[in-house]
Amino acid sequence: MTPSAAGASRSSDTSRLRRFLAIDEREAFIERAQTPLGQLAIALIALLAIAGHLGTWQAVLAVAAAMSAVIWTNARAAILFSATWLMAFLETGLGGNDTLDRITAVLHQEQLPDAAAIPLAIGWLLLVLLGSVVALQWVRRKPQSMLARRPLVTLLALEALLCGVASLSGVAGLPRAMLWSAVFVLTPYIWFLPYAIVDQRSRDPNSALTQLGTLRPFWSPSYLPFGKGAAFLRKSLSKTPAELAVTQLKAVKLLLWANALFALRDALIWLFNDTLQIPRLGDAIDAFVAGQPYALSTAWAALILSMAKLSLQIAMWAHLFIGIARLAGYRLPRGSWRPLESRTLMDYFNRFHYYFKELLVDFFFVPTFFKVFRNHQRLRMFFATFMAAGVGNALWHFVRDIDLISTLGLGAALETFSSYLVYSAVLATGVGLSQLRANLGHRPSATLAGRIYSFCFVWWFVTCLHIFGDASRDHTLGERTSFLVSLFGFI
Amino acid sequence: MHTQAKSKLREYLRTALDKHGDPHDFADEESLFLSGRLDSFSMMNLVVYLETEFSVDFSALDFDVNLVDSVNDIEALVDSIASR
Repeated sequence: MTPSAAGASRSSDTSRLRRFLAIDEREAFIERAQTPLGQLAIALIALLAIAGHLGTWQAVLAVAAAMSAVIWTNARAAILFSATWLMAFLETGLGGNDTLDRITAVLHQEQLPDAAAIPLAIGWLLLVLLGSVVALQWVRRKPQSMLARRPLVTLLALEALLCGVASLSGVAGLPRAMLWSAVFVLTPYIWFLPYAIVDQRSRDPNSALTQLGTLRPFWSPSYLPFGKGAAFLRKSLSKTPAELAVTQLKAVKLLLWANALFALRDALIWLFNDTLQIPRLGDAIDAFVAGQPYALSTAWAALILSMAKLSLQIAMWAHLFIGIARLAGYRLPRGSWRPLESRTLMDYFNRFHYYFKELLVDFFFVPTFFKVFRNHQRLRMFFATFMAAGVGNALWHFVRDIDLISTLGLGAALETFSSYLVYSAVLATGVGLSQLRANLGHRPSATLAGRIYSFCFVWWFVTCLHIFGDASRDHTLGERTSFLVSLFGFI
Repeated sequence: MHTQAKSKLREYLRTALDKHGDPHDFADEESLFLSGRLDSFSMMNLVVYLETEFSVDFSALDFDVNLVDSVNDIEALVDSIASR
């Protein structure tokens, strides 16, 4: 077989596979998906796909809520609200989230009984719900207030104030535990409420019930708004039964794909970490710091494996969350879209973690873009990109780990964060320059060699940078820098 | 908005959708940003385009994505500024 014939055959196999998997494009499937039996099959497959990762009751609640929302469309807002807050209260009440672990740690510090964690968390969660209701009403009545115009800044200021008071030397015992509990419970909502507040000021806002139902919605009880806010969700809602069927079939495909990625991640760990004894990145840095570094090839393998696991982790959880949202009829873009095909750093930033990028653009890039350097287009674009990919990125991660201030103190928490600050600054500079190049008309070559070059450049850059962006706070900036330099044989 | 300006705007949006890997056609009333067909960075590029081509001063407006979400929205925005 000639090379071109072999290539054509491979391409034909790929397109055959694609056709086979494209159940959302086949009339027979689309019709069957609209029948009661089809709906039951979709719900059962989704349940099986989710249960192993979210937990059984969470999966039952999420699938039941999603399927109910598409059956009783008139009650969608009420279903969304009930499922979202039932999930939040049940998770807290049953002791199933990291907020409780954080509260328990502070209770230990203050020598208070662990049992107080759940009542404290439930109480503050209730206050967050009531506070959100009041905030949305306030914004409707006072559209020119600070909260309405700068929701994220206001909420971050509130968080900083609470942290500041909780850190005062005179505050101890129960008051300190209560203040930190408030911070831990409020923290995730800081990234959801601004979308609801911005929507309240729009020409055609969603109902308050809908807005409240999208604060950490039942499909993604995380720190990141997968699906953004109610305005984005409303526009993406399937409009016809056929459209809904296609969206739900896409949901099932995405949930199954998420499971395939989970399996791939486990296989990588088994093969490389467990069988071939490739160390984890943290262990490789530890060994280097201890003066007993691994061989260069092993250290590189540890780094590449760590980056691969991170990429899989981002993709599989994003697919799981978006899959559930699609099950509820929302035609949402994927959370991670073929990142290996990124041609530029800008492209990578767009594809790798879509909803994180959207959050940063909506609340850091856009406000900066309209405020500064309006007569210097390139500087304006670069600076706004830097604010999003650098400042916003760093701030989100620092706030996510806000409990470190309570356990380590502000100084030490900042010190352990220094390498992530460098990570954010370098990433932002790279993305900003990439954005500028794109605006100047530079396009990566579409040839095979050009594609290989783009792939190598983008992934070499982000993999090397991953040493600084690694989520652990165990190594100093100096240790990470030395480790990076050692990978090139200079140390 | 003149017919010529509108077709130029549609051409701009067509190119933006192509860059985004979206070959499907779009109607004037169709949502482009809130529907997820174009992302926030594309929105900012559109803002620059509207500032340059139609002298829209976004700093004087209370920016909201609904202002530029569809061709009709953009047309209404440009017309309202022109009539001031």
